[in-house]
Amino acid sequence: MHILVVGAGKVGHMIAEHLAREEHDVTVIDRSDEVVHRIDDTLDVMCIRGNGANASTLLEAGADKADIIIATTASDETNMLCCLIAKRLGAKFAIARIRDPEFNESLALLQREMGIDLAVNPERATALEISRLLRFPFASNIEAFAKGRVEMVEFRALEKDAVVGIPLREIHHKLRGIPHVLYAAVERSGSAIIPNGDFVIEPGDRVHVAADMVTITTYFRYLGKNSLRVKDVMMLGGGRISYYLARMIVPMGIHVSMTEINEKKALDLSEALPEVNVIYGDGTDQELLDQEGLAQMDAFIALCDRDEENLMTGLYAVRQGVPKVVVKNNRGGYDDIINAMGLDSIVSPKAITCAYILRYVRQRENATGTRVERLYKLMDGKAEALEFIARPSDPYVGIPLKDLTIRPGTLVAVIVRRGKVIVPFGNDHIEAGDSVVILVRESGVSDLNEVIRK
Amino acid sequence: MNKRLVIRLLGAIMLIEALAMLPSMLISIVTHDGCVQAFLNTIAILCLCGMPMWLLARPKESNLRAREGFVTVALAWVILSAFGALPFVFSGMIPNYVDALFESVSGFTTTGATVFANFEGAPKGIMFWRSFTHWIGGMGVLVLTLALLPSMTGRASHLARAESPGPSFSKIVPKMGDSAKILYIIYAVLTIVEFGVLMLCGMGPYDAAIHAMGTAGTGGFSNYGASVGAFDSALIDGVITFFMVLFGINFALFYRVLTGGWRDALKSEELHWYLGIFTVCTLGVTLLIMPQYGSFVQSLRYGSFQIASIISTTGYATADYNLWHPAAQMLVLFVMFTGACAGSTAGGMKVVRVALLSKLAGREVRHTFQPRKVQVVRFEGKGTDENILAQTAVFFFAYIALILIGCFLVSLEGKYGFAANFTAALTCVNNVGPGLAEIGPMYNFAGYGPFGKLILSLLMLCGRLELFPILVLFHPAIWRKG
Repeated sequence: MHILVVGAGKVGHMIAEHLAREEHDVTVIDRSDEVVHRIDDTLDVMCIRGNGANASTLLEAGADKADIIIATTASDETNMLCCLIAKRLGAKFAIARIRDPEFNESLALLQREMGIDLAVNPERATALEISRLLRFPFASNIEAFAKGRVEMVEFRALEKDAVVGIPLREIHHKLRGIPHVLYAAVERSGSAIIPNGDFVIEPGDRVHVAADMVTITTYFRYLGKNSLRVKDVMMLGGGRISYYLARMIVPMGIHVSMTEINEKKALDLSEALPEVNVIYGDGTDQELLDQEGLAQMDAFIALCDRDEENLMTGLYAVRQGVPKVVVKNNRGGYDDIINAMGLDSIVSPKAITCAYILRYVRQRENATGTRVERLYKLMDGKAEALEFIARPSDPYVGIPLKDLTIRPGTLVAVIVRRGKVIVPFGNDHIEAGDSVVILVRESGVSDLNEVIRK
Repeated sequence: MNKRLVIRLLGAIMLIEALAMLPSMLISIVTHDGCVQAFLNTIAILCLCGMPMWLLARPKESNLRAREGFVTVALAWVILSAFGALPFVFSGMIPNYVDALFESVSGFTTTGATVFANFEGAPKGIMFWRSFTHWIGGMGVLVLTLALLPSMTGRASHLARAESPGPSFSKIVPKMGDSAKILYIIYAVLTIVEFGVLMLCGMGPYDAAIHAMGTAGTGGFSNYGASVGAFDSALIDGVITFFMVLFGINFALFYRVLTGGWRDALKSEELHWYLGIFTVCTLGVTLLIMPQYGSFVQSLRYGSFQIASIISTTGYATADYNLWHPAAQMLVLFVMFTGACAGSTAGGMKVVRVALLSKLAGREVRHTFQPRKVQVVRFEGKGTDENILAQTAVFFFAYIALILIGCFLVSLEGKYGFAANFTAALTCVNNVGPGLAEIGPMYNFAGYGPFGKLILSLLMLCGRLELFPILVLFHPAIWRKG
């Protein structure tokens, strides 16, 4: 597909990088010479220096023939204008990053009038992700597949966990009554493993299990991990993510405390969020945190602007015995190091926005030919989960999995048939119309037939 | 330095060269010229060396950084020329390896300077290979590699940038592999069109192929001692003049014409400069040589051919310009400097650099009496990046320095006078072919000794890759770690 990315900041660069790797024809527009040079050096994309809201620049970039335009400049207004003009010029699908809550209120109208097919709000998307983590505090990461029917949950295996030290194929003999979940992937000392039956989970492994929501919940109850319910949350920083998150979790009956260093902002927040306990002060100050009862909190969420302060305060909260700590960190590539320090849940608005946009691009692509329904990057991009719909003409349909050749490093994780989730064994088979989720270690799989053969 | 990746790429290049010898071998088989064995031996050697490099070097990462890009391009050209010389040696046509290397470098760099004195009865397969090297070298071997194996490297832009002529490389479509493919398709189609037109003008298929490839790559090898002059046909002169000018134009413009943007393509500022220089110099030469040839039309025929041949750095000849008016000879020297457009198959300094340097000079003059005026150098309707301007100025210095040093080294042999030695360095750096005096269009380079030929070969490689990739090889820091 021909895709235009306007504005190559952190998110724009990451999106362009992924799309180029997936063999799309990508054109990047940015105003800065320096940015254009850097992109030109590192990515196989076309670069154009100019203003993305300028019709002639858009035409030069081929907006009239573009399948998708993605506007991720720093300004909401520019993004909307880009989409409006590109759509008028003939672009087929427009995605804009719009982050100002002011616009959010009239978003539906704006989208319709501006021709924006998808508006992405990074802060809102991040808040949504965090709220999911708070619902399952034992998980350090949650992904939903097959329209939310299947959840894949990541947790860190501890010494005391019953599943540790037993080969996967024997778990069901040794542990009576353990719910049947799929051990989808394991991350050990920084590398991804797609486990087979002989695999033994060790303490410290980051295990990804998949099943439907109910099974997952009973599974974690069996492991004794689900005892915690989050009732009291403290947030560091009163930015947009905190605002959205508070709006989401207050109705769930969660009590929220929020520290904000700027007096004016603190007042505004207090006015906008009457149920929230807004504290005016420096949230990185240990004195203040102790005074506000950090040690008694069920969860601590560090969301201030500076990644380093989030990490430091997050580590302090872990030391104080807060059971669930989530930190915001936009800098990619350090996840392994941060995990090793004891912080499990890291959210990156940049990565979340990028993943969100890429998911839509892939859906569009699906409409025009390639067959991946949805694609999820797992473990910092080390593995991918892909969702396909099996077609009647596919050769593997109706044949038990144990009689098929499945490429090494690939796992058929879940089959969803008429709304029912099946964690497949060798005797199960794929039927036409099934949603099939597979896990692979490499990227670039675009068809189920590439990995499953008769 | 990711040495394994470089080795793997070089292996691929050698295999591609082996592949590229097949058409010439076919000609050898068809014409029974007795050189099949020479090709077979070379192909065997290439496969024996290339295959293990390609198969056994397993790079840990496929990331090609600037240093690997430059080193790969430079070494690829050295290797290509070194092995490309073997058929000449094995066939016994040029028994001396240094001579054969000179011929091969001259072919790949599309210079067209030759050590042959006598073409009568030369084996057809070998002559075809000699011209085929022009065709491959014109658009670039790594561009060909990118077109054939786009997935081989992660970041290919450094390869294309090091090999493609012009101050900055711009892709014509987002993907490097696709860009390379489109360029080669345009190139091949234009070459075939020229081949057809030459056949219609009465050339035999073999002569037409040799001259079509020589023009397309802007090389200049002919299978006649008198070059294109041997046909003595105004029609053929005209056709070749047209195609020489055509192959000096940026190929991105052809793509724009194909996609319907011909109005846009005609607006290209570089094209205006190029055609402007060509027209002015042609008229100048025509008027200066009129006393010699008598009629205006006849002078225009020889004048336009020679200017087209030199500005596109092809190097064909229909007349001996050694005998022309000295001012006409100076105009020939002048277009030798400018060369043609960036992004074409031509050599030389490139019109775009001449244009930028002229504008830069104008700006500096203005700056002396109006120091506070902010001046942006505009080209193609856009302000030019100051970095590019600085690079262009440095390039010009390095270019002149290289010519002077080359001229000095060649003069050490003490064979010829200043005119021959200077124009030999100049013509080699610019990949033109003929020079003045003893190496004029009707003579050849056989008179130089082995040392001179090696120096000139190096100059040709430097010129083809626009100096820096070759110079990088001599910088000690490139071989260090980190």
